Amino acid sequence: CLIGLAGCEKDLNQAPISSGSTPTFYATQADFEQALNATYSMLRVSDNGGFPDRQLNLSETRSDNIYGVGDAGVRDWEPVNNFQTTLATNPYIAEAWDSNFSGIFRANTLLDQLAANGSVVDDATRKRFEGEAKFLRALYYFDLVRYFGKVPIVDHALVPSEVGKIQRSPVADVYKLILSDLQTAIDNLPVSYTGTNVGRATSGAAKGMMALVYLTRSGPTYGIEGPGLASNEYAQALKLLNEIIASGKYSFLPKYSDIFSYTNENNAEVLFDVQYILGGVGLGATYPGLLVPDTYFTFLKIPYPSGGLEIRPIANDLLNSYPAGDVRKTFNFAEGFTSTTGFKETRWLMKKYLNENLKGSNRSDWPINWIVLRYTDILMMKAECILHGAGGTQAEVDAIVNQVRARAGLAGTVSNVTLPQLMEERRREFAGEGSRWHDLVREGLVLNVINAWIPKEDTRNRMSRNIDANQIIYPVPQTELTSSGGLYQQNPGY
Amino acid sequence: PAMAHPVVISAPQWQLTGKVVSQGSGLPGVTVVLKGSTQGTTTTADGSFTLSVPETAGTLVFSFIGYTTQEKAFSGPETFTITLAEDTKKLEEVVVVGYGTQKRADVTGAIASFDASKLQERPITRVDQALVGQLAGVQVRQTTGAPGRGFSVQVRGSGSITANNEPLYVVDGFPLEAAAQNAAGRFGTGSPLDNINPNDIENIEVLKDAAAAAIYGSRAANGVVLITTKRGKSGKPKLTFNTYAGVSQAVRHLDMLSAEEWVDRATEMINAAWVASGTGRTASQTTAQRQAILGVNTINPNLMLDERWAQPGHPGLTYIDWQKEAFKNGFTQDYQLAASGANDFVNYYVSGDYLSQGGIMIGLGYKRYSARANVEVKANDKFKFGLNISPSYSVAKDPGIEGKDNLMHNIVSFTPVQEAAAGLDANTGNFTSYAWSLSRNSPIRVLQNTTGDTKTFRTLGTLYGDYQLLPGLAFRTTLNIDNTDGNTKSYMPAFVSGSVGNRQASGSYNGYRRQTFVNENTLTYNKIFAEKHDFSALAGYSYNNSKIDAQRISSTGGFVNQAVTTLNGAVNISGTANNFTTETRNVLLSYFGRVQYSYNSKYLLSTSIRRDGSSRFGDNTKWGIFPSASVGWRVSQESFMEDITPLSDLKLRGSWGRSGNNGIGDYSSIATLGIYNYTFGGATAAGQAPNRVNNPDLKWEKSQTFDVGFDFGLLKNRLTGSFDYYTKTSKDLLLNVPVVYASGFATQLTNIGEVRNNGWEVELTSHNFTGDFQWNTSINLSHNANKVVHLGPTDAPIEVASAFDIPNNILQVGQPIYSIYVVKQIGILSQADIDNKVALYGPQTVGDPKYQDANGDGKIDAKDRQIVGHPNPNYIWGVTNTFKFKGFDLSVLVQGQQGGSIYSLFGRAVDRTGQGYTDNALGFYRDRWRSPDDPGAGKRGKAFSGFGRIKNTDWLYSSDYYRVRNITLGYDLGLILNNRIAQGARIYVTAENWFGHDKYLGGLNPEAVNTDGGDASFPIGVDYGGLPLTKTLTLGLNLTF
Repeated sequence: CLIGLAGCEKDLNQAPISSGSTPTFYATQADFEQALNATYSMLRVSDNGGFPDRQLNLSETRSDNIYGVGDAGVRDWEPVNNFQTTLATNPYIAEAWDSNFSGIFRANTLLDQLAANGSVVDDATRKRFEGEAKFLRALYYFDLVRYFGKVPIVDHALVPSEVGKIQRSPVADVYKLILSDLQTAIDNLPVSYTGTNVGRATSGAAKGMMALVYLTRSGPTYGIEGPGLASNEYAQALKLLNEIIASGKYSFLPKYSDIFSYTNENNAEVLFDVQYILGGVGLGATYPGLLVPDTYFTFLKIPYPSGGLEIRPIANDLLNSYPAGDVRKTFNFAEGFTSTTGFKETRWLMKKYLNENLKGSNRSDWPINWIVLRYTDILMMKAECILHGAGGTQAEVDAIVNQVRARAGLAGTVSNVTLPQLMEERRREFAGEGSRWHDLVREGLVLNVINAWIPKEDTRNRMSRNIDANQIIYPVPQTELTSSGGLYQQNPGY
Repeated sequence: PAMAHPVVISAPQWQLTGKVVSQGSGLPGVTVVLKGSTQGTTTTADGSFTLSVPETAGTLVFSFIGYTTQEKAFSGPETFTITLAEDTKKLEEVVVVGYGTQKRADVTGAIASFDASKLQERPITRVDQALVGQLAGVQVRQTTGAPGRGFSVQVRGSGSITANNEPLYVVDGFPLEAAAQNAAGRFGTGSPLDNINPNDIENIEVLKDAAAAAIYGSRAANGVVLITTKRGKSGKPKLTFNTYAGVSQAVRHLDMLSAEEWVDRATEMINAAWVASGTGRTASQTTAQRQAILGVNTINPNLMLDERWAQPGHPGLTYIDWQKEAFKNGFTQDYQLAASGANDFVNYYVSGDYLSQGGIMIGLGYKRYSARANVEVKANDKFKFGLNISPSYSVAKDPGIEGKDNLMHNIVSFTPVQEAAAGLDANTGNFTSYAWSLSRNSPIRVLQNTTGDTKTFRTLGTLYGDYQLLPGLAFRTTLNIDNTDGNTKSYMPAFVSGSVGNRQASGSYNGYRRQTFVNENTLTYNKIFAEKHDFSALAGYSYNNSKIDAQRISSTGGFVNQAVTTLNGAVNISGTANNFTTETRNVLLSYFGRVQYSYNSKYLLSTSIRRDGSSRFGDNTKWGIFPSASVGWRVSQESFMEDITPLSDLKLRGSWGRSGNNGIGDYSSIATLGIYNYTFGGATAAGQAPNRVNNPDLKWEKSQTFDVGFDFGLLKNRLTGSFDYYTKTSKDLLLNVPVVYASGFATQLTNIGEVRNNGWEVELTSHNFTGDFQWNTSINLSHNANKVVHLGPTDAPIEVASAFDIPNNILQVGQPIYSIYVVKQIGILSQADIDNKVALYGPQTVGDPKYQDANGDGKIDAKDRQIVGHPNPNYIWGVTNTFKFKGFDLSVLVQGQQGGSIYSLFGRAVDRTGQGYTDNALGFYRDRWRSPDDPGAGKRGKAFSGFGRIKNTDWLYSSDYYRVRNITLGYDLGLILNNRIAQGARIYVTAENWFGHDKYLGGLNPEAVNTDGGDASFPIGVDYGGLPLTKTLTLGLNLTF
């Protein structure tokens, strides 16, 4: 193409050489599968590590399980831990909003394309793809509702200018979409997978999530537009939980540590997890090192920093909650360490997901899956429903709690377990799994428990006292408020 | 008649001798030719000449650049004394414009010229360096102290918010692919000026307004820099040898706390932490007492002091000034040999150059080997063709000094107290970190042992042919290729990384190949009708294809052993995030034309148009049209001006034009797919999803300039100058407009928004003294102010995301681009303030900084940010004074800027509230608040502070500075040397950057850019640990044979 002009003009159409582009995508079944995988990957991918890291930052750190006051400087998680009202500009808050909406966009794009061009996918697979995409969309929206209350409902892939016209919807409306998506997932998804499909959403996972949604909706409203609707749907939840139990697809592992073992992933406890693998291929996890300092990695002879910067120690209150001999305490936590520089850290750390012998090549290369929902949780939610009068008997509740206690190595049995006792058992069982804050909110305990805990734990006097209902949810990220041009209002209290 | 007649030795000859002088002293290098022949010579160092001619009466012609040519008749062997007058009018001086040349007198656009012939009279290592302070309206910022790296050049302010702001460079007619300096202060795939030897350059013109630049269409909005390299000149072949050698060192070190002051601050902070950690705990308790209270027998450095600090001579500890250890003297040398000449058939210039530039810090250095051959052959009366080719190779060494968490950052913030046993080996090899120290590795050992070599091999070549179709009508075609291969090898050995027991080597290799191919074809027509109507026209077509291939490989899991530092010795290599090859390509097709008309050199008119089609533009907007027009009136040519004798020259100019900025990335209009893999059942599951919004309407940024100005000469052009006033309005700016993230995206790339730059420029040249003692002064001064006129669809302000904490820049209609937007600090909180319930940021207490509650809501938070400054200077200026006396010459260049601000994110490393004691802090923490009775200077609060941090004015500095860039004193050795050794010889000494002043106390270089402080949507280059400038003392020699 030198002096001959006409031939040159076609050179002006250059497609990207090193990336795909939308005009040629969604043309084959494989394309749709890739679009779906990318929707899953939002569980894993984000600046701050995705769903697991978010659970540790916004639920675990917020709760009475962690006393995350920094030593050497001021860290980004401190305002979360300390209940400061300046959180609208906090990066963890923005991550929660942004990542979930990115996931929703990918699910929406896939669902729209499936509707328009899905004929290239065989019918059975198309049904499954739709179910998986809706399961994920429900999961992302549920995460948003629990952290932010009202959020805009976007159920199609819209251009930004159109999305910018959508108001934040009442929580009840958001739940409608979540429940409808989960119902599609239950209807469309298989009960299990084999081979390299293991880890995809199943109908059991969808049922479990739906039960958790019903339980959450049944929680008190606290007078705010938060996750609770006081809807008293314990019976609906119990029905789903019983179906899961009756399916026989899952079981209660006899050994607590086996649930989280690097060599026992996708075990019978797991209903749904975020999957990670080793190999420096960018598919590993960061969360195992999130709550521990670099010096702890050095102590463990791990040749890279933890990424945790400094310790977010386990609250004394949680440590004291474990009876003597509880295997969960020593499995989940480590009692300090002495650094290579001779500094002795006396506070307890989270080591639940750390296995230095099976480490990856860098701090984002941990191969251990993050369990979003496990069978013990199904059982204990069942107990929760029963104690709320949804049916069943106290004996069933006691049996569940005793089963859990026995696995923890505790002698003797308990009876007439009350709700507060059940929740404290959940705290010990699910410590480090990011459920504590949500549990407290769901059961109406959050203000009393946290306000009693802070003065006891906060020896350094850095945390706010007397938190109120407004702090049950987080503020809308400041950048989002600004971008909305006044369409969104900030949550009260921020 | 083309060849010189062989001189018959026996023929009788007349000996013509004499001397050419100017203003009293001999003028070397003057061409003396027998009129009508090729016989000639040049004058020697003292201006004398000898020429043998046939015994026929004739005329000698004396010519020299910059002087009026003189003729002298002779009719026998004679001795002349010729006085050449300086051609101060320069009316016939030719200016290079796009696709051709033009008489300076006829120029109607705003063009700044830089006579590069002076470049070889001082030590210059890069072309961009030569432009600092020289041209009105051209801001050249030295954003890095690492040798060999490109500077940032901006013509008439920033027209673009997110697209490229660097000008288009055209070397001998070859438009090089524009490259933007990225936010980390680097030209990722090379600066267009890399490896170009400044000694080869004849002159540089900067086309500033759209009328001058619009012939370059969609690439011209940021101005166009035309670089012309040297050609041979008719006359005797010339051989020049230039060399210089010099020593350089850092202009300054950053004022940090000394080791003693650090101990004082650490003691205060640790004691405060101890007292706050429980009741009954006092600062006077010893370490043993504290251990007893805690029931431990180990040291907790956060709560216990190192008792050796207080002991005389601090036994077992060593106090280290890390900067002193890291900085060193650099040694620079350069050698260039060039030969040039011309006759009726061939014109040639051939040069070779070697430069070795030492760095001011351990590990830094730069070497460049370059050569150039410009050869033109005149095949016959109608056809000539030529080849310009310049291969070059350079090696830049940088172990990773500038930027966040890199070595400069570590050197200034590293704990100045260390165990004596380890000293400079702190946390390397078998040494652990000092318990009270940062846990990083000794930056000195890292500097000494880390490899960071960037090797660049570049070939610039142009092959061209010129054919005279008809008298006045010429066709020219050029084939141009710029091929750059750059690669960087990085390697850090195990013993200077990690910590004891966990040390792991790391390495990577990355590189790029950038290829630009340009074919241009032009027809030009020149004709003077009826002696008064000077008419010229140009039509052209060009094809421009540019490709970049990039690659990277990194080690993982360390290296097998320390002997092999290439990646075959790595334990493993994996992960496409760190290992990849990528390719991009763009194509630009253009048609262009220009018509120029001058009536009697009095009334001037020029108009041009270009139509550009680019693969970068969206499907709906492939082609853009860029017109311009300008007029001029040489008032001084009018008869009514003849009586006004002081005014020797006056020209009024006015222009309008539209140009574009296509620096928008190669595929920005297309919704690309990102790769987002997942894993199921232990296997990788490939994933892809859109990573941006499709925009088929995406196009160039449009820039429109109005320019009015005048050029004048007074007192027989003893004083000449020009003035320009302009407004440049940039529309359809490419903005990543923030959108609600509920859409799945943070931003959408849209042509929206408008920025206006207003300004004026003055250039003055004055010949203050002529005669034996000459004194010339050149002054340039320019003012530019930019203002955002429109933003997104609603004109809503955009808070520009920051890579570090909350946004600290804002785009707001009516305000300058990237205005600095932070909370204002207004003092230090007193007990009275607390009692009066002044607004606080979180749990602030007495002794913490006091912030202004700008919105009056009773608390301090992000909503209290306000605009406190803008990054671009209002005024930039440069003054050059040159003096000549007998054989001496002296030139002094002073340059500076006023009116801008720096928001230094480096403050986050060395000056932040709530900072831990291990980091060293800026020197002004000496005067911090210590107690109500000892409140310090009122700028910095107490050291032990736990309220957190909010972006505030503590990191705000004025960017005003002035700097004596260059003082050069030369002496013409020709006066004392025998002419037989050399025709011309000059020796000089240069002092660069020895004097100056700036107000940037929080960093080392007020122009430093080395870290992206923004985000993907709005990259903003900031200083996060940049090197200081270099001051150099150089000795040089210029020889001409």
